[in-house]
Amino acid sequence: MTVLVVQVVILAALVAALTLWFVCYPHPSPLVRRWLPERKRWPETQIRGWLKHGRFHSAFVHHFYRDPERQPPAGTSMLAPADGLVTSADVRAGTRYLVIALSLWDMHVQRSPLCGKVQSVQSHGEDFMDGEGREFAFLRDKPCPVQTRVVIASQTVEVAVRLITSLAARRIETWVNEGDDILRGQRIGRILLGSTVVLELPASANLLVKVGDRVLAGETPVADGVHSS
Amino acid sequence: MSDFFWIHGHLGWGWFAVLVFTGLWWLLSDFIWRLKNIRIQRLAMVMSAGWIIGIAIILLLSLVGSLH
Repeated sequence: MTVLVVQVVILAALVAALTLWFVCYPHPSPLVRRWLPERKRWPETQIRGWLKHGRFHSAFVHHFYRDPERQPPAGTSMLAPADGLVTSADVRAGTRYLVIALSLWDMHVQRSPLCGKVQSVQSHGEDFMDGEGREFAFLRDKPCPVQTRVVIASQTVEVAVRLITSLAARRIETWVNEGDDILRGQRIGRILLGSTVVLELPASANLLVKVGDRVLAGETPVADGVHSS
Repeated sequence: MSDFFWIHGHLGWGWFAVLVFTGLWWLLSDFIWRLKNIRIQRLAMVMSAGWIIGIAIILLLSLVGSLH
């Protein structure tokens, strides 16, 4: 009898695991989620579904809100303001726009590229759109995506960081104010869910990254040739 | 072979092993499919072959066990 009970318990556990698999399919079962890389742990289709209904898996929310410490490298190079993929580094009217696209799985806290003083924090735009970094949509006058532009000036150079929303990302938090002194790599804000961050810097700056590179906020040097601290 | 399904008031160890192995193999297949960038046809072929070999071993062990 004892053997039968043990067998039934083992089979019941197995049936529970298979039921969980069936209920969660096509998304991963919670039993295997922890061993999967984050992109497969919470597939994009699942996150888009959550966005539609406004309800998120608590483990994903916890992962999304992570805010790890970052150690800025020594030197005076400008640092990436966000985690993500460099999708453009074009120059327009004497300004280089380093566009960093954040995915839904990237860390979403933005950091200052250099040491200086916050000159202004301005919000503008009225649209929520996807592909907000493409074709300089963020530079359009009125129908540009909702964004916050933080201008930071050091003794020798002025740069701006644009925190841009998307269809998925509808909220921006900024943690610095006009007149604040700011350190290189210091946290400046957060965009909620995947979007775009653009670093505006002088066209004369020597770019250290190229399109297709992955960068880390407050850690990856993206430009030098301008005195930044 | 009747011992395979039921023996002395509990499930036969052969049948029990087949059920547990099949369930775990299914879950393992799903896990590998998610973890690796592998074509589904290739994965299905490999995992099916693995399942057949596993079942064959269980049957063989059951047969050997029932002979003693």
